[in-house]
Amino acid sequence: MVMRVVFVVVSLFTLVMAFMVVSHPTLFSSALYLVATFLGVAGLYVLLEADFLAVVQVMIYVGAVSILIIFAIMLSRGMMGKRTSSHNRQAKWVALASLLLAILLLYFITVLMRWPAVQAGPVPAGAIQMLGQDLVGRYVVPFEVASVLLLVALVGAIVLAREREI
Amino acid sequence: MIPLSWYLIVAALLFVIGFYGALSRRNAIAILMSIELMLNAVNINFLAFWRYLTPEDMAGQVFAIIAITVAAAEAAVGLALVIAIYRSRDTVSVDEVDLLKG
Amino acid sequence: MTITMPSVSLMPYLPEIILLVTALLVLLVDTVWGDKRWLVWLAFLGTLVSGVAVWWLAQGPTLQLQDMLTADAYALFIDMVVLIVAAISLLLAYDWLIEHNEQQGEYVALLLFATVGMMTMGAAINVVTIFVALEILSLSLYILTGFARERLTSGEAALKYFLLGAFASAFFLYGAALLYGSSGHLDLIGIGQNLGTGGLMAGAGVALLLVGFSFKVALAPFHMWTPDVYQGAPTSVSAFMSVGAKAAGFAAFLRFFQVALAGSYAQWGPALAALAVLTMTWGNLAALRQESLKRLLAYSSIAHAGYALVGLAAGNSLGSSGLLFYLLAYAFMNLGAFGVAIMLEKPGSGDVMMSSLRGTSRQHPLLAATMAVFMFSLAGVPPLAGFFGKLYVFGAAVEANMAWLAIVGVINSALSAYYYLRVTVLMYMRDEEAGEEEVAVSKPPVLVFALVVALFFVVIVGLWPSVWMQMAQQAALIFG
Repeated sequence: MVMRVVFVVVSLFTLVMAFMVVSHPTLFSSALYLVATFLGVAGLYVLLEADFLAVVQVMIYVGAVSILIIFAIMLSRGMMGKRTSSHNRQAKWVALASLLLAILLLYFITVLMRWPAVQAGPVPAGAIQMLGQDLVGRYVVPFEVASVLLLVALVGAIVLAREREI
Repeated sequence: MIPLSWYLIVAALLFVIGFYGALSRRNAIAILMSIELMLNAVNINFLAFWRYLTPEDMAGQVFAIIAITVAAAEAAVGLALVIAIYRSRDTVSVDEVDLLKG
Repeated sequence: MTITMPSVSLMPYLPEIILLVTALLVLLVDTVWGDKRWLVWLAFLGTLVSGVAVWWLAQGPTLQLQDMLTADAYALFIDMVVLIVAAISLLLAYDWLIEHNEQQGEYVALLLFATVGMMTMGAAINVVTIFVALEILSLSLYILTGFARERLTSGEAALKYFLLGAFASAFFLYGAALLYGSSGHLDLIGIGQNLGTGGLMAGAGVALLLVGFSFKVALAPFHMWTPDVYQGAPTSVSAFMSVGAKAAGFAAFLRFFQVALAGSYAQWGPALAALAVLTMTWGNLAALRQESLKRLLAYSSIAHAGYALVGLAAGNSLGSSGLLFYLLAYAFMNLGAFGVAIMLEKPGSGDVMMSSLRGTSRQHPLLAATMAVFMFSLAGVPPLAGFFGKLYVFGAAVEANMAWLAIVGVINSALSAYYYLRVTVLMYMRDEEAGEEEVAVSKPPVLVFALVVALFFVVIVGLWPSVWMQMAQQAALIFG
């Protein structure tokens, strides 16, 4: 019961913060709400007993991605105070479409799907060791190939952001 | 114990919020933030499935880690792109970036 | 605690590794060497060596890397197509790179990285690997699209491509998550065995995956970005991604549908058929009224994605091998068409207007004839490569009791002949209004060489289709 209350609180916090991200007219505030959303998601990970992922979430999303976004906002500083409308003209229709999508997904998850009465088994002791083993064992290939992806991002970010030398 | 479907509902709602933002915001950085919300929503799904269906098999967690890596790489490239455009155009509003029409 | 490192043999990944090493070498050499022309040739050499590795792997038994990657005949066929595309694209980019760009090393390296992503997509037998490969390919292409920094449109195209691509990735991932939830597996064979008849969640997962996939290979109605991106990107990049990304995307999804979803063809077959009809019709109708050659080619590439999808929707072995053959034929003719566009484009404009094609044949008869061959092949005129591609995929549709789909395809081909012929007619039109104005054309030798290669293969594949079809059939055998 306590868990459920905690879950509802964390979820509501996450969703409200996420809604503020997409609806707040000022970009900088949106970014701050985004940080809060990331933290809320990390909270959900803790509830799911995925401790390592929760730490990764805080370090990468809250730590790195948010900082990157805030940097970008500040570098394109013309945007920060500007009060032109932040949403495009189709926003109303998009809202309608989103509402429909939400109803569809909820109907699908709550009514149509017969979930097996899952009693989540206990998380095995040493799950983090298992995860580490898997990353350099069964999943070593995507793990290695992901490093190519990071290299691409590295080269690409430099190419794009470099001032032209003319 | 919290039912699995609760997590899936939260994930679905978060995904839809991101969906709305990605299609309705005008600023490229705001769109990117909305897409990050969508990716986060998917990761909740992965971890919920891992926790409830296959807690001894780490596949869901591994995919979540890979997805986070990809999201970070995408953010880096995307923001570099935004800055490059801002330098040449003085705007990152998607409406105003519209030389290509046909 | 002891960590047991798995003993994996990276041999099946050898062609990709060769390209990766080449890309790193290019980046290194770029910093110490003054003459940038050698970078392109170094990369070209890399694709050749990688091709030799593909050939060598094809001689031995099928190798597999855990349940992640395989080097079966199918993967090697895709490797071949993608390597050809990469090699020709390097040659197409050569002169533009030397004259108009100051970041040749990065361009070449990113093109090689994208190629690695494409090859990995063909070899991936696990949703995780497919996803990572798709992202390598996409990220490299976003960056390459923004490479023509002298034009504002290039950066704009890159931004659009990036935002829509990342949006599509989110859908792809959501689909992967639902599939994982309904089967408990991420490798294609495991998904296939545990999905059973499907179930609602699996269906939703496949639908979401399909949305992500449709964005990447530009299927209607998720193709909106294509014309803008192809028009804004450097023309050599448009050429590269119009064929390479399509080949890789179709490769991964053909394998996905045939391996993981073989049991539920009755559900996805008709859906894909409908998508094919929508895609080719939409692409062709939009192409009819384009005034920019690059936009025309973009809509034409959407239509061709529709034709190729017919092979996937047919779901039989002729469909699979026909699709593979189509990817190969399409690679040569589309690279050729974009190559001619590179020749015709005015420096700095990055595009060719249809009106400026007028009278090309009088001053450059060979060039006009070459373009005519590519256009005829794209339209599906026998006996060129494009004709047999269409013949095989439409034949597969008939074989799968979807004759209506083949008929729609033929009607669409007739429709497309109109705009392909329009390009040709404009080039051969006697030009009275424009007077004696010189049609500006640069004919650098490397570009000419690339065009000759593409032309040669469009004709050869058309004259002897059975050789290539046999290879495609060999590759499609893995689906049993």
